[in-house]
Amino acid sequence: MLKHAFAGILLAAGLVTAPLLVGPAAAQGKDALTVDLPNDAATLDPHVQWDTDSYTVYRNIFDNLVTRDVSGKIVPQIATAWRYANDTTIEFDIREGVTFHDGSPLTASDVAFSIARIINPTFKSPQLSQFDQIVSAEAQGSKVVMKTKTPYPALMAQLVKLSIVPKAVVEKVGDQVFNLAPVGSGPYRLASWQKGVQSVLEANDKYWGGKPPFKTVTFRVVPDVATRVADLRSGKADIARQLGPDEATALKKEPALQVLAGATERIGYMFINAQAGPTADPRVRKAIAYSIDRKSLIDALLAGYGDPVNIVLTPANFGFVPDVKGYEFDLAKAKALVKEANAVGAQLTFLTSPAYDRRVVEALQQMVQETGLKVDIVALDHPTFLRRRQGRPDEAGSLSFGRWSCACQDADGVIFPLFRTGSIWAKYSNPGFDEAVDKARAILDEKGRLDLYRKAFEILREDVPGVGIYQDYAIYGARKELKWTPTPNEAFFIMDMKWGQ
Amino acid sequence: MQGRTGLWRRAPVTVIVVALILAAIAVVALLAPWISPADPARQTLIARLRPPGHTTSTMTYWLGTDELGRDLLSRIVWGARASLLVALLSVTVSLTVGTLLGMLAAWKRGWVEIAIMRFVDIMLSIPAILLAVLTVAVLGPGFGKLILVLGLTRWPRYTRVAYAQTLQVASLPYIKAAELGGAGTLRILFRHVLPNIAGPLTVVATAEFGLMILFEAGLSFLGLGIQPPQPSWGSIMSAGRQYVERAWWITLFPGACLFLLVLSVNVLGDWLRDRLDPRSRTR
Amino acid sequence: MLRYAFWRLVQAAVAVFGVMTIVFVIMRLAGDPTLLLVPEGATREHIEALRHELGFDRPILVQYAAYLADVLRLDFGNSVVQRQPAMAILMSRLPYTLELALGALAFALLLGLPAGVAMAVWRGTAVERLLAAVVLTGQSMPTFLSGILLILVFGVILGWLPTSGSGTWSALILPAFALGALSMATFARMARIAVVDELSQDYVRAARARGLSQGAVVVRHVLRNAAVPVVTIAALEIGNLLAGAVIVETVFAWPGIGQLAIQSIQSRDFVVVQVVVLFVSAVYVGMSLLADVAYAWLDPRIRLTPA
Repeated sequence: MLKHAFAGILLAAGLVTAPLLVGPAAAQGKDALTVDLPNDAATLDPHVQWDTDSYTVYRNIFDNLVTRDVSGKIVPQIATAWRYANDTTIEFDIREGVTFHDGSPLTASDVAFSIARIINPTFKSPQLSQFDQIVSAEAQGSKVVMKTKTPYPALMAQLVKLSIVPKAVVEKVGDQVFNLAPVGSGPYRLASWQKGVQSVLEANDKYWGGKPPFKTVTFRVVPDVATRVADLRSGKADIARQLGPDEATALKKEPALQVLAGATERIGYMFINAQAGPTADPRVRKAIAYSIDRKSLIDALLAGYGDPVNIVLTPANFGFVPDVKGYEFDLAKAKALVKEANAVGAQLTFLTSPAYDRRVVEALQQMVQETGLKVDIVALDHPTFLRRRQGRPDEAGSLSFGRWSCACQDADGVIFPLFRTGSIWAKYSNPGFDEAVDKARAILDEKGRLDLYRKAFEILREDVPGVGIYQDYAIYGARKELKWTPTPNEAFFIMDMKWGQ
Repeated sequence: MQGRTGLWRRAPVTVIVVALILAAIAVVALLAPWISPADPARQTLIARLRPPGHTTSTMTYWLGTDELGRDLLSRIVWGARASLLVALLSVTVSLTVGTLLGMLAAWKRGWVEIAIMRFVDIMLSIPAILLAVLTVAVLGPGFGKLILVLGLTRWPRYTRVAYAQTLQVASLPYIKAAELGGAGTLRILFRHVLPNIAGPLTVVATAEFGLMILFEAGLSFLGLGIQPPQPSWGSIMSAGRQYVERAWWITLFPGACLFLLVLSVNVLGDWLRDRLDPRSRTR
Repeated sequence: MLRYAFWRLVQAAVAVFGVMTIVFVIMRLAGDPTLLLVPEGATREHIEALRHELGFDRPILVQYAAYLADVLRLDFGNSVVQRQPAMAILMSRLPYTLELALGALAFALLLGLPAGVAMAVWRGTAVERLLAAVVLTGQSMPTFLSGILLILVFGVILGWLPTSGSGTWSALILPAFALGALSMATFARMARIAVVDELSQDYVRAARARGLSQGAVVVRHVLRNAAVPVVTIAALEIGNLLAGAVIVETVFAWPGIGQLAIQSIQSRDFVVVQVVVLFVSAVYVGMSLLADVAYAWLDPRIRLTPA
């Protein structure tokens, strides 16, 4: 053991430069694709869990009402067209000739049923809050008429995530069986699901959108990122989700592999508690904002997989206003502000959990400490972190790092929950800001909304209840032959992939 | 081998060597603030993952830098402190609690015995790592709480051994005699029973000593160990594991230190056990 | 004897009940899963509504009573995350866990016992020191490190064994070895001590005096007597091998109940944690009950007195 283990390290280190094993030669085309995910799908019923791993699998089994193209535009999927009858009523034309995997046709009543199902409180869907602006959905011939409580500009963005399930099947087999044996209309059908091990999908050759690129797709559960990389290198996996920047750097040296990375709508930001502790003083918050050296964070720690931002929103979201100025890295100003606020040596707590990259948190800690403040990291387990961060202001810690995505590409899904008075995440309150974001979620006019968000971000710039750091990248490792462009909403739609030379 | 007295009489060279190693590690841990070449938390992001001997205008990184550009040597020196303390304190807590309860159960018998030993069953039957993760979730993080969690999870191991050994010892004639002579329970347990069961307990304690360092490492791996940026050997290795190929030094050096420590404690433990155990003293 | 066995059985039941209660209380103290289930942007009202729907807003005693009532009807509840019966989830993971535990036990025994015996027989020689160092490497390396090293060396560089996964014999070798390495040291040390103890017994000296060789004495007498404490330790290790393999399972993507338990703790999926812990403790308590009854059968002195 002694010899073997430590020799192992040296051997491993020494062989980095040696030619590495190349997996089985890639044939022209490929029947089976193997995907390494960090977690198992929690549910395959698309109306229950919506975490990234569950969504990655069931997105391919179901069609959604609408979807986004590579540029991020909302485009038809099951709905071929839609129009507003008035500010709270929308009509959708439902695509004809779509069949579920059991052969039955997909109709407007299936769409209406899907909406009714997810907004029914007794179904206890965790996704309810994304759809509860919808009051009703009714099938009228090949149309579905949907009503919302108030004018709701983010509606279409939310409907991108709505999967259509077959009414007859769900009613016949019940929710529990449907979760285990989901029936959709998507390009793949579920062949087998071994809980905690893998789920295997097989191509639906009758898919209305064309022939799926692989006969079978296997989603394996591989929690450890180092193991996912090893799987790629040994040829056990063709593509792996959720790699870090350092893994990406290492993969680039592999002749048979490539890094697929794309900017997402996920915003890396730092929360600053405006209601409790030393950060209740706006000068301290501004000092913290000045202390963040985005360039060295992104260049050194993220290996370039991130784009600096001035505000708590990414360019991939509606409502992004590039002209609102941010806080440039300026340590002298930061130090002066801390002195002015008489906060030199003040104790800040930096709450975090294993869900956030420890390296980024530690780097931010040091940057803030340079200002003369003292920062203690408190690493909690994730549920406890959420309880405190979402709890009373005095329990929420002074700082925390987050990577936020609403999967709706709209400012409403980002700064409203983060900073609107009364929201669980907000440790901040400003009536001017509240008014702007309230109005922006109740009108449909895009120009008017953009103006409101500009105003909101200008207020945030003055108050600094949080600071945007970078636009996050989704990083995948894959075999060279796989052709695919990751999208900003982190969707994993196999129809968009190809296998080539 | 002249001049050694008492316990150290007849100590083989190996034991002297490991004792010296332990002493050296302890001294490093004690003197960390003075001998550490740099601040163990000081990051230089542009100098991440630099190999041993990397020199800049301000300093030489003798053991290289870690994933945040911190001086690995300084982190290992400070890590010795955290790791030793964790192991020492948690073993002390669980050894004390566990031995007391074990002796009590075997001596008192009856309901005391049933209550204690069934509770031991309960505690032992919940896998230690799960119990630790659960208690961390309730208690929250922090050095003191970490010790508490480790101590509270591990005491039943000592209880079982202390219990079994005390049962055997209790029937020895001179202990019976002491009891008949009217000596109090505590006096008998500490004066007569404890010396007789110290050998096996030492073995458990020395084995646990290394395990506790690993246990903390495991919790670090799960994100629940010592609070960053404070280093422990376990947390350094846990953070460095994904760089074993690119930056082998991050795991190799603390790994080697840990190996030396565990080896030394175990060798010393086995030897002590042989010395303390009356049955093997005949050899 | 029958009365003793019955009494011991009652105690075992109480112990399992105790485990259930302790875990229930700790889990509830640690908070409920609602916050993890909702999307990040959910409002306080939605969270409260879901919490109410899931029943986590009831007093802890009411929840406990409801849980007990269900368990008595052998209904272990539904996972709030996976929306499946907790028992079914446990059962789907169990074969993997047993496979890994047995594999690790085999490695630990096959390598640990001979090493321990050799260390005792060649006590104080270079052989002992070398073996001690080898055995202790297994105990001084965190499994998250040894695991990834094994994967890199045998999976990536040499390409002999799968880098991850389950279901085949070749996939079992690396995780079983990584997990077994920890217990191996324990077995080796215990075997060494047991054999050293036996070697100092009078009967051994008598046998040697009768002219039997050391090897013959060891094989004929010592090993058999030394086996008892070793087997006891093996029984104690079972619980940890079953559900304590959290890290090995994570590194090797092995779908055992350890990984299941830790993920369920992290997502506060109470009923799944409960059913896993209940299972492991029932196995453990059952084993130690068997051991106690067997001991009592063999040696009436140890028999526990019922009050």
